[in-house]
Amino acid sequence: MAYYLVFLEPRNGLVAGVSADVWHRVQEQLFSGDRVAGFVAGSLSSGALDVLQGSGTVHHALSGRPAVPSDMELCRMLSELVRKEGCTDIFMAATAAGRRLAPAIAATLPASLLAGCTSAYPDEKVCRRYIHSGSVLAAYRPQSAIRIVLQGREHRRVTFSSLERPRCVAFQESPGILRDAAPLIRAIIATSSSEDISEAGIIVAGGRGMGDAGRFAMLEELANLLGGSVGASRSAVDEGWRPHSQQIGQTGKSVAPELYIACGISGAVQHLAGLASARTIVAINSDPYAPVFDVADYGIVGDVREVLPRLTDAVRDVLRKK
Amino acid sequence: MNIAVCICQVPDSASAVAVIDGALDMTRAAWVMNPYDEFAVEEAILLRDRFPGSTVTALGASPESGKDLLQKALAMGADRAFDVRSFSPLQDPFQTAWVLAEALRNLYGEALPDLVLCGRESLDFQNASVPAMLAGMLGMVFTGPVSALRAEGEHLELERETEGGTELLVARLPLVISTEKGLNTPRKTGIRQVMEARKKPLEILQASQPPPPKVSLESVETVSKKKRCRFAATPEELAGMLHADGHFRHISGED
Ligand SMILES: Cc1cc2nc3c(=O)[nH]c(=O)nc-3n(C[C@H](O)[C@H](O)[C@H](O)COP(=O)(O)OP(=O)(O)OC[C@H]3O[C@@H](n4cnc5c(N)ncnc54)[C@H](O)[C@@H]3O)c2cc1C
Repeated sequence: MAYYLVFLEPRNGLVAGVSADVWHRVQEQLFSGDRVAGFVAGSLSSGALDVLQGSGTVHHALSGRPAVPSDMELCRMLSELVRKEGCTDIFMAATAAGRRLAPAIAATLPASLLAGCTSAYPDEKVCRRYIHSGSVLAAYRPQSAIRIVLQGREHRRVTFSSLERPRCVAFQESPGILRDAAPLIRAIIATSSSEDISEAGIIVAGGRGMGDAGRFAMLEELANLLGGSVGASRSAVDEGWRPHSQQIGQTGKSVAPELYIACGISGAVQHLAGLASARTIVAINSDPYAPVFDVADYGIVGDVREVLPRLTDAVRDVLRKK
Repeated sequence: MNIAVCICQVPDSASAVAVIDGALDMTRAAWVMNPYDEFAVEEAILLRDRFPGSTVTALGASPESGKDLLQKALAMGADRAFDVRSFSPLQDPFQTAWVLAEALRNLYGEALPDLVLCGRESLDFQNASVPAMLAGMLGMVFTGPVSALRAEGEHLELERETEGGTELLVARLPLVISTEKGLNTPRKTGIRQVMEARKKPLEILQASQPPPPKVSLESVETVSKKKRCRFAATPEELAGMLHADGHFRHISGED
């Protein structure tokens, strides 16, 4: 029987949407006898936990001082909770904080860390994930009694609903656990306007074939129309046309959109490495032999300067007729 | 400032990796320093040059590492290098971090280095776990991948990317930092640097047997990404195809 612990990341006093998704995915996979706990630290707005449906107990650590506990404090509190409660599987969203925290806890407990699984662990007893830039699919088997699973966007959407609500209890750290473990002073959090492409459902990406930075306005227009985000190849980033945060591929971000529209991108393996979890790929390229067409579901051979404005108009038309 | 850099080697191109009889075959691969680790070595050297009396120590623990990798770090400017050998190949990030943590304790004692730099992830298995695990085992603070670093006396000013944008941090040494692309531009090495590197100390450090791995690689298969592409003759036809196949389902009619 499994005892799940879900790490709930706070965001602006609420539970981050990605964490709530993880919580509900865990609820969906419960067998009789399985149990669920949640853990959240820091001050929350009233009613912040109301988004969570299903059974279980949420442990809320409110230590008063610093509003946001450091990674080290979180690691200690979570490890302590896991040991006290006897949790077997820890689930976290693969956010920047989750990616720092999960391996730290895995080293502390110790536990088996499973990240980027394409199969829904634990339905399958192994975690299947891409290695070597998406060219090889590997199956990993956890060897520890405790597992930590980092879930990214590659997982199915949740549809869980229940009338049940988890109960909330205060988490009491053991005395002494919060020794001066926060030499990391958070000075400012500069929130830039760049949306996170690793979470985007639709991405319109441009490469060197876009020709210059100004033409990315065409991609922004199409992305806005589709409710998506703009991404870029490394060449486009190296040219200074887009920020590195928008680079997709081996040395950029891995993305998992439903729809990926590649404009003036040749389809180098290093670029495709970031697309292993993209569902449908559309390629626009002037070269009919561009390798990107080998991995695309839909393609059009043509100049982006001509194709994009017409495509945007045509999309607007079909959306209007809907 | 005592700076340690943990580096490894990866195949220069994923296309040289094959699966033969259900196992990874790397015989066609040429090995290079993991690109993210180049940022770590470069940053270590920049810091050393700014703070007189600092030393940069490079450690390689991957089985394929050997001399080439460490020689490259020395040619870039590291002061000394250690080839951390284990009795059997390291099987997961936990074992790798364990062996590195042991090596760092042996080299630095309880004092530990002021700064441990690692690449964000290695481009072969892409777990991105070793830096955080290493920090956990050493009891050091881990900052996560940083894309900017400014040293101001005792403090480091760092930038890291999160979902909401860029976080600006001020941190005090000692720290474990992993390096993101764009942190710096790693220097190229020429014949002269390579010759000079030969005179620098490169030692072998024997690791103890680490605890068993926490995950085991059970099977591998090659992935064929080839799809049958449906070509549209005009942009209008493409929009129609995407709409008909339900790719715009979730978008409301009003834009
Ligand atoms: C270690 C390493 C890591 C890397 N990591 C990444 C990574 O993370 N992400 C990444 O993207 N790359 C990465 N690369 C680089 C990668 O190998 C390619 O160089 C890069 O992806 C090419 O970008 P591109 O497709 O935009 O440019 P190009 O390869 O130059 O392709 C441009 C394409 O645009 C087409 N085109 C030109 N003009 C037009 C037009 N007017 N209309 C329509 N089409 C046009 C051309 O036919 C061509 O196919 C990495 C490389 C290495 C060695």
